[in-house]
Parts: sequence; C-alpha cells; structure tokens
Amino acid sequence: MQADASPDDMELVRRILVGEKECFALLVERHERSVFRIVQGILGNTADTEEVLQESFLNAFTHLGGFRGEAQFRTWLIRIAINEARKKVRKYKPQLHDSIDETEEDGRNYRPRELRDWQPNPEQRMASKEVAGLMERAIQALLRGYREVFLLRDVEQLSSQQAADTLGLSLSATKTRLLRARLMVREYLSPHFRQRWHQGLLSRLKQRGE
Amino acid sequence: MIDCEQVLQELSNYLDSDVTEQLRQQIEEHIHSCGNCKVLVDTTRETLQLVAGEKVLEIPHGVSTRLLERLSVLWK
Repeated sequence: MQADASPDDMELVRRILVGEKECFALLVERHERSVFRIVQGILGNTADTEEVLQESFLNAFTHLGGFRGEAQFRTWLIRIAINEARKKVRKYKPQLHDSIDETEEDGRNYRPRELRDWQPNPEQRMASKEVAGLMERAIQALLRGYREVFLLRDVEQLSSQQAADTLGLSLSATKTRLLRARLMVREYLSPHFRQRWHQGLLSRLKQRGE
Repeated sequence: MIDCEQVLQELSNYLDSDVTEQLRQQIEEHIHSCGNCKVLVDTTRETLQLVAGEKVLEIPHGVSTRLLERLSVLWK
C-alpha cells in the first residue's frame, strides 16, 4: 500500500500510541542523524554523544503521549536531545552552567578581522573529510549559545523561527546569535582558505583592468 | 547609501534573502564598490555552502546498530 510505504511522522506516532511500538524504529531511522549531529556538535565527544543519543530516544518514547503535534516531531525530538546534551555539559562542566552566553550578545561588538578573499572552490582544494573536520573544529570553537543556533539553522537547516522555538529564544535573539556564529565560523575557516597575498593583488588588478 | 556597519548587521539576513528588495539593492550597490564588504559577503556565503555541502558531524559506523539494540527492549 502506497500510504504504508512512507507514513509521515505524525502517523507513526499515532500508531505507536495505539500499540504498534515497533514503528518507533522508523522514527529512529529517520531522525538519528539529525540528533547525532546536533548532540555531537554541542558535546564534541562521541562517547558522550552516543549515550545522549540513546537517552534522547528513550526519553522521547517514554513521553510520546505528551507530544501534541503542535511542533513537528523532529523539532520536538531535537528539543529533548538539546536538553539531554545540556544536562551532560552541566554534569561535566558545572562551571559552565550559566555561561550560556550573556557575553557580547549584540553582534554590533563584533569586528571581522580576516578580510582577504578566499581561493576559488575551497571544497575542491581540500579533501572532503578535511573540510568536515575543519568545520567541526570551527563549530566547537563557538560559545555554546552560538553553537546551538548555528547547528540548528545552518547544519540542520531549520528555519530561524524553528530554531528560535526549539531553543526557547526570541526570533531576534536567534538572528543576532546566528549572525555572530556565522561570522566567527567564517573567521575560523579563513586562514585555511584565503588567497596568498600575490593572488589577492592579481585579482584586484584584474578587476581594475590593469 | 548604506555603510559597512549596516552591511555587517544585515549580512545574515541578506544571505537568507530575509531583507526587503530596497535593502537588497542597497547592499549590492555597496559591495560593488567596497572590497572588504564584498569579501565578507562572499566568504560568509561560501562558509554556509561548505557547512551545508560537507558531511559534517556524520554518525559513525556502529552507532545506529547499538542505538536500535538498546531501544528494541521497548517493543519486545
């Protein structure tokens, strides 16, 4: 049956709640990568991430009856995972408990320093794995409040409104953090991708037609 | 005309196409004549393309299997 081939998340939730518990495996298969990426991005430690991943799905299953469908299942699940990940951070780094970034909340204080253009097609100049590793280090270098917004919006491609709702932030605070996060990731990547000084000079001369 | 500071503040919204048509035009006029802002816009756009295109934070082999094993007690 066509409808049974790929039931949507709400339909799966409904079936689980009436006793077809094995349908949960389909939800896991569909969303485990998203949850993994976000939790790994927050924690930066694969062993802890795996534990949080399992706890998040267990928690979601236990509380599935409380899922009312106002949000998408995916964003509801991501919210659970973020809470589990934050608990883990507090456990290991209690000093960071309240550090969710009151510092320089306003992007106006931020000044980009790296203003040399990049070489064309950086993704073709570096092995895909290397770029991914570099990006992961750039994400880890962000303060947690910026990191969470960047992960939801730019890695998971949620809308700014969905990211705001998931993190319990206002839309304007989300956008402010997003701007700052993007600028900082760009700054981190720049030394790896920027043109050598003579390339920059040549391209400027070319632009001027000299 | 808008200045570099305004371009910086609107950079994210501009890249998300979340600005008015008028502001979009003003930003594009500015970056046409401002080398630093052009670099800033181009390299931030490239950053977003890289993060969306690369296999960032991929789930390692074995994690899915162990997850399903742990959860399978729920429906057995």
